[in-house]
Amino acid sequence: MSAAAMLETRGLCMSFGALEVARDLNFRLLRGARHALIGPNGAGKTTFVNLLTGLLAPSRGSVLLEGEDVTSLPQAKRVRRGIARTFQINQLFRGLTVLENVCIAVSERLGVGGAMLRAAGRRSDVLGEAMRLIDMLKLGADAGRRVVELPYGRQRLVEMAIALGLAPRVLLLDEPAAGIPSAESHIFLDAIAGLPGEIAVLIIEHDMDLVFRFASRITVMVSGAVFAEGTPAEIAANREVRAVYLGSVLDA
Amino acid sequence: MSLGQAAVQRLAGRHRLRWWEALPWLAAIAAFFAFPNHLAFGTQLLVTILFALSLDLVLGYAGIITLGHAAFFGAGAYTVGMLAQHAGWTEPLSGLVAAAAVAGAIGLASGYVLLRTHGLALLMLTLCTMALLEEAANMASAFTGGFDGMPGLRFAPLLGAFAFDPLYFRSQYVYALVVLLACFVLVRMLVHSSFGQSLTGIRENTLRMHAVGAPVRARLVTAYTISAALAGVAGALFTQTTAFVNLSVLGLDRAAGVLIVLILGGYGRLYGAFVGAIVYLLLEHLLAQAYPTAWQLGIGLVLIVVALYARNGILGIADAMRSRGGRAG
Repeated sequence: MSAAAMLETRGLCMSFGALEVARDLNFRLLRGARHALIGPNGAGKTTFVNLLTGLLAPSRGSVLLEGEDVTSLPQAKRVRRGIARTFQINQLFRGLTVLENVCIAVSERLGVGGAMLRAAGRRSDVLGEAMRLIDMLKLGADAGRRVVELPYGRQRLVEMAIALGLAPRVLLLDEPAAGIPSAESHIFLDAIAGLPGEIAVLIIEHDMDLVFRFASRITVMVSGAVFAEGTPAEIAANREVRAVYLGSVLDA
Repeated sequence: MSLGQAAVQRLAGRHRLRWWEALPWLAAIAAFFAFPNHLAFGTQLLVTILFALSLDLVLGYAGIITLGHAAFFGAGAYTVGMLAQHAGWTEPLSGLVAAAAVAGAIGLASGYVLLRTHGLALLMLTLCTMALLEEAANMASAFTGGFDGMPGLRFAPLLGAFAFDPLYFRSQYVYALVVLLACFVLVRMLVHSSFGQSLTGIRENTLRMHAVGAPVRARLVTAYTISAALAGVAGALFTQTTAFVNLSVLGLDRAAGVLIVLILGGYGRLYGAFVGAIVYLLLEHLLAQAYPTAWQLGIGLVLIVVALYARNGILGIADAMRSRGGRAG
């Protein structure tokens, strides 16, 4: 493992009152990684993503992006440095169309989100990029519909399109396929497969089938701490992991 | 053409002028000739539209719930009043600029502090800001005239040629109409820009807006400042055209009134301010003639009906009917 870490945490700790949700988390997400984070419910996976993106502040420890300490940077600034995410529960602009949803993300990435003089509809670069992503996620037929009118599974794809619209270097996906009908989950896997190789992707997922298809490295979290880490084969063969988590999932 | 391309075309054409957008302005010009004896009412209407339009930018587009927008209307109204009374600064156009600057500065300062909060806390804080200004205007009677305000103000003729006649509001009406048009063009440009799009993003989901890297608070403060400046212009127009200013420009009545105007007409849709102001002022006018003591009862009933059955105001009803017709056709 000599590859450079895109995103790294050192001794990350965080508690909600007496409940420790992150315990001394040391984690490295390498450039170009396809990394999965698994663990039982309540293990602190989403909290970990929230610490990485700056939605939550750790009580101790640090977050480093390409070796640079970003622990004190607010969320929006981390996004501009290349950390994008999807949310476990959809966080969309529900009253706006799919196209507008993606345009808002693309505008911010291109730095024109605060521009007042030119009509948004005249920014053909923003519109073109947004439509490219929408087509990639097979949302073209829904581009003009308001998000609130779409079925949940399609909304999940909008969530993904917004994250990709930020042209991230680190992409954090919090249960991206939850709620997507299995017949459509390939759309989202194809989209990830089509990403430039140097983007580091971290995915939280309960669908082990998807995890083992996608990931080249897996971290298992239990009770706010890293329980095990390794290749999919190592994790699948790990007795302790089977005991605390995989057993229940695989046998089910 | 695919559905995706159709969506792009629709968004790409949203900012283009529609034929019917000429109607309010043609109607305003027609009213100038048709109702020469009601131009004072017409001027009041134009001022109210501008005030409601300024509120629409923050409430309808950015989703900032405020109950204290009259703070900025009043700041603009008192700025030109005090300049005319104490400094002999009676030139109307530069007075508007001064009013916009003062109201905008108050908007910037208060917005910078208040817009950390949202919901009920924000509602109360905007209300408190306005109450503070009202009390300041009441206490500083040496400058503001206190409770009595400043009656009988005099302003220089517009462009040195068109005097404000206190009986015939011809100059005042045309002046207010031109200022409204200029401000409307500005607001229309803003709401269709990427900035305006990002405001609707903040309104729809602030959490997501942070997560796409937008400087949410800076955007909100910017919108709030621009809106405050426009409300200040409306207040300045009020003082200049009526030749007086008193505490009513800063009161809760005025703040609630403009909110009612916008809710009646429909917020977040530019022309809601026009429709709402016309309906509200006409209702007020007619009801006050018929029931001088109980006209607010009628306004209240209309508002209840709108709140229950037409959440998006009168223009929302028109939209719903059009989309129903479109689906049937």
